[in-house]
Amino acid sequence: MGVERSKDMDQRTAGLNFAIFFCQQIDGKQDTNRRALEKELGSRIRFFPLPCSGRIEPLHLLRALESGADKVYIVTCAEGACRYREGNTRAKKRLTFAQGLIQEIGLELERLELIHLAPGTKTTIDELARGLIAREALIGPSPLAR
Amino acid sequence: MITAERKPLSEIKEMIAPYRKILIAGCGSCVAECAAGGEKEVGLIASALRMDAKKEGRDLKIKEITLDRQCVYEFIDQLTDLIDVYDAVLSLGCGAGVQAVAEVFPQAIILPALNTTFIGETKEAGVWVENCRACGDCKLAYFAAVCPVTRCSKGLFNGPCGGSKDGKCEVDPDTPCAWQLIVERLDERGQLDHLKKVYPPADWSKQQGKGPRKIVREDQTT
Repeated sequence: MGVERSKDMDQRTAGLNFAIFFCQQIDGKQDTNRRALEKELGSRIRFFPLPCSGRIEPLHLLRALESGADKVYIVTCAEGACRYREGNTRAKKRLTFAQGLIQEIGLELERLELIHLAPGTKTTIDELARGLIAREALIGPSPLAR
Repeated sequence: MITAERKPLSEIKEMIAPYRKILIAGCGSCVAECAAGGEKEVGLIASALRMDAKKEGRDLKIKEITLDRQCVYEFIDQLTDLIDVYDAVLSLGCGAGVQAVAEVFPQAIILPALNTTFIGETKEAGVWVENCRACGDCKLAYFAAVCPVTRCSKGLFNGPCGGSKDGKCEVDPDTPCAWQLIVERLDERGQLDHLKKVYPPADWSKQQGKGPRKIVREDQTT
């Protein structure tokens, strides 16, 4: 992921880099739906579709931060709605583990965040990602980006 | 299986502080099974240490490698061409692995990233329990393959004590009473007569008091 920060970026996003891991069950057309946003933000956003959020490993999250992401999301389907029963529960445990590790090196645990969709949510990945990016105006760039 | 847990990163950082080029060496055997020192864990520690160094503006070069076994020369030999290139090796092997690598490369700095804990089994995903003290005088045949030395909190050879309640140990209610397990399994096997015997105290001289133990199998030696 590129860490170069463009000066004319959307104010909402404050020039931050995002990595978004997500369960592809939440948007059947995620492949198409995310293209416009990827084009718009270029290297500042990276999507990582997973067959199930339970596939996430702490190492994926750390590597995303190490590669320049200021904020890393793992988006899962609603609690209790996992197609594979407990994938999103596992995702939460793995995120917690990774948060523990980054805290040990003095990074804010908020740089890794899990988003459980509300039950019954119908959304597309680009709509979801725009919402997540817009709410991140308060988080600063990662100290790793200096 | 030998189990281990990662040391706090603060302790690891202190150990590696004098060095700029670190070889992080995992072990693909026991400590990989207990998710402490395998390839994934090598990647995690390496990533965390790289980020930490970057954050603090320190120069740190890391190479990752995972040996199939860190306690056997034939596998340790894979480090031969790398050992002189790095200032130190951060080993994610058990204590035996760390020492075996240091034995092969006595001039190299070998640092332990793990605290070796016990001999145990994988009880379920993510749960490891101690079940062998390596006492050197195995009596499992008499106790229906449940070790009273290790799994009874009081190490009773002639149990149970009076503190067993609902199949749990009074010392820790999360721990199954080893003697309850022994009696139930002996009953299932029709071997309750084993309980009529009085077992003498364990012979701890086979574990302690004679210094480090050694096994020699002449048919295996060169």
